[in-house]
Amino acid sequence: MAAPVVTGERLERYAEVVVRVGANVQPGQEVFLYTNVEHAPLARALARQAYRAGASYVNVLHVDNHVRRAMIELGPDEALTYSPEWMKDFVRCAEGGAVIATTGDPEPELLADLDGERVGRARTLEANEIARRITSAKAVQWTVVASPGPGWAKQVFGEPDVERLWQQVAFCMRLDEDDPVGAWRQHLARLDARAAALNELRPDALLYRGPGTDLTVGLLPAARWVSVGFRTAGGTEYVANMPSEEIFTSPDPLRADGTVRSTLPLALGGQIVVGLELTLEGGRIVRVDAERGADVVRSEVATDDGASRLGELSLVTGDSRVGRSGTLFYDTLFDENATCHIAYGFGVPDAFDEDPGDDLNVSNVHTDFMVGGPELEVDALLSDESTVPLIRNEEWQLT
Amino acid sequence: MTDERLERYAEIAVRVGANVQPGQEAFVNSLVEHAPVARALTRQAYRAGAAYVSVVYSDVHPHMHRAMLELAPDEALTYTPPWLKTLGESFDGQALLSTLGDPEPGLSAALDDERVGRAVMRDYMEIRHRQHNAHSVNWCGIGAPTAGWAQSIYGEPDVERLWNEIAFCMRLDEEDPVDAWRRHLDRLDARGEALTGLRPDALRYRGPGTDLTVGLLATARWRSARFRTAGGVEYVANMPTEEIFTTPDPRRAEGTIRSSMPLVHKGQLIRGLELTLRDGRIVGVDAEQGADVVRGHMETVENADRFGELALVTGESRVGQTGTTFFNTLFDENATCHIAYGAGLPYPFEGEPDPAMNVANVHVDFMVGGPDLEVDALLADGSAVPLIRNESWQLD
Repeated sequence: MAAPVVTGERLERYAEVVVRVGANVQPGQEVFLYTNVEHAPLARALARQAYRAGASYVNVLHVDNHVRRAMIELGPDEALTYSPEWMKDFVRCAEGGAVIATTGDPEPELLADLDGERVGRARTLEANEIARRITSAKAVQWTVVASPGPGWAKQVFGEPDVERLWQQVAFCMRLDEDDPVGAWRQHLARLDARAAALNELRPDALLYRGPGTDLTVGLLPAARWVSVGFRTAGGTEYVANMPSEEIFTSPDPLRADGTVRSTLPLALGGQIVVGLELTLEGGRIVRVDAERGADVVRSEVATDDGASRLGELSLVTGDSRVGRSGTLFYDTLFDENATCHIAYGFGVPDAFDEDPGDDLNVSNVHTDFMVGGPELEVDALLSDESTVPLIRNEEWQLT
Repeated sequence: MTDERLERYAEIAVRVGANVQPGQEAFVNSLVEHAPVARALTRQAYRAGAAYVSVVYSDVHPHMHRAMLELAPDEALTYTPPWLKTLGESFDGQALLSTLGDPEPGLSAALDDERVGRAVMRDYMEIRHRQHNAHSVNWCGIGAPTAGWAQSIYGEPDVERLWNEIAFCMRLDEEDPVDAWRRHLDRLDARGEALTGLRPDALRYRGPGTDLTVGLLATARWRSARFRTAGGVEYVANMPTEEIFTTPDPRRAEGTIRSSMPLVHKGQLIRGLELTLRDGRIVGVDAEQGADVVRGHMETVENADRFGELALVTGESRVGQTGTTFFNTLFDENATCHIAYGAGLPYPFEGEPDPAMNVANVHVDFMVGGPDLEVDALLADGSAVPLIRNESWQLD
């Protein structure tokens, strides 16, 4: 297979930051890699670095979108939502371990010609449920990172310039710093300070205004604003997404009214969604429009009750390294860190200090879409009905 | 990606090899570099009516294996993660396809031979042994050409040439490959029945560096790789296959035997292997290269030092006709006669295997055939019946 062989120092350095900062693999821990088959070179580097960090064993599960395509195209209906026992067990085994998953779609348009409804429905429901339980219990250190390849590079630059993509990814990952591990700690401390200032305001809701957007989303007293610098129940720190430039929270799933228009395309289920517009009433998405790819979103939103409610609000400003790269990555991991975003579906367990109960929106989906840009204004609405500007012209207003 | 030859190849593996039944789950054990073949198998399995196809690329991936061999703690070498046990258990009653063909031969050659020999996923192997004994899985192993594999054969990464040779071995040049395979297997089974009918007590091998007598079990038949599950699904466990084989008496083997072709085990090349046997046990291991891997098995794996398989292959083998050393057991063992040390195969037995059958966590085939090898059946009355002379079958 013509997988690009990216070897050498940069790959190992990248894998080391992911293992040491992202998953923060502890001596004696098992590690679980969940990567595309095309990402094998990175998976191998991650395995090496994990063993060097003292991992007792490195498990790897390579997913293959061509296998997924065959299932959606040729398999029986029941196959679409089936979770084989071994796959459920793979997820279960990760409890108490460290999970590293990769993004960077090797063939972003691979499923584009398939029935959007079947594409949207195809998900391993029971395995996802187990993963959600383990994540909610904070029983695993997990991180998501990117693996550059020619397919993804072509989507980004119009040509398969993997080296250029690697440079952008390395920039976003702070690999240019003398001490990337130290730089990441500083960066996360800055985001945490931002979150603390916003929490101090005890906002009741957020107000978004911009072209095609006028949306108010209720907030929960029990949910804090946080960065992705998480901590397991056992106290091990980890960074759930790398890169990360956001502070975010789990909003009130019952309070959201207005309309919101996405400002960047969204790669979803092998399709590209462009110009997504959602209308919300009483916390529920009641209308889905898009210039392209509306069906796959409609299908997702219909997955379960929680899918039609909001699960995440996230604030990102112009000093983001992803934003500064000026690149549209067509990958949520990056694009959501370029600018403000919102997700429908599953909420953010790590925003809650206590058992969130019904406050946490529960769903089998969690899809982020980008809403930020130079013209977006974000305000905090306080319980005394006063407003505090949070973002103007992509700059953070709350110092 | 929907190359017609690839789909045709996968179709034969799915329909003749594993013989995937409608409503069955199919499992594909594969390597990352074999993804094109794994994908074609997936498509063909769904077309054959599979309820679900699981493709698992993680099994014993050479690079992962290398990272583990180099860097992991000792306990990791023999560890089977629980999810892989669950995977193994899931094969019961279902179809299994495995792709073979080392994409980077020699990758682990620089490593500690002793650790290489010791790295066996014990619990997983035990599950597979139980399934072999219970005849509960319709399974098939096939080759997956890659540039690295082609390089090791031809000295250049000529994948197209390798594909052509494999297509020839797989009878894809026949107008109706499914029917050609049926006739071929009928012929091998007839050969197996004729030999079983002699009720031989032992086999004797003579050739350069070889003078070996191996005792046979009265309960074990000679047969082809066309099997039948307990549930009645007929399948072909290896494709290509040119052999008839049996499980010998692990208590009776005397003499010396020299391998006639190199073999690759877990990425390590073993060349010029010479074994000395006494009372069924391998008591001496020599080799021009890779002796430590074999000695590692002898020292750390229980019963690795006894034989588990004898197989007879003659000169009309399509694999043999290619004249190619594939550096891959699936192919090379079908070029010529071979013997395996380690686990016996349950397939030659009607019902439960003979209690005497060798049980071990390894099964390593090495090739012993060639123009100079003479194989005789020794009967209970002390007479000898020639089986193979000059690579030709003598018992027709």
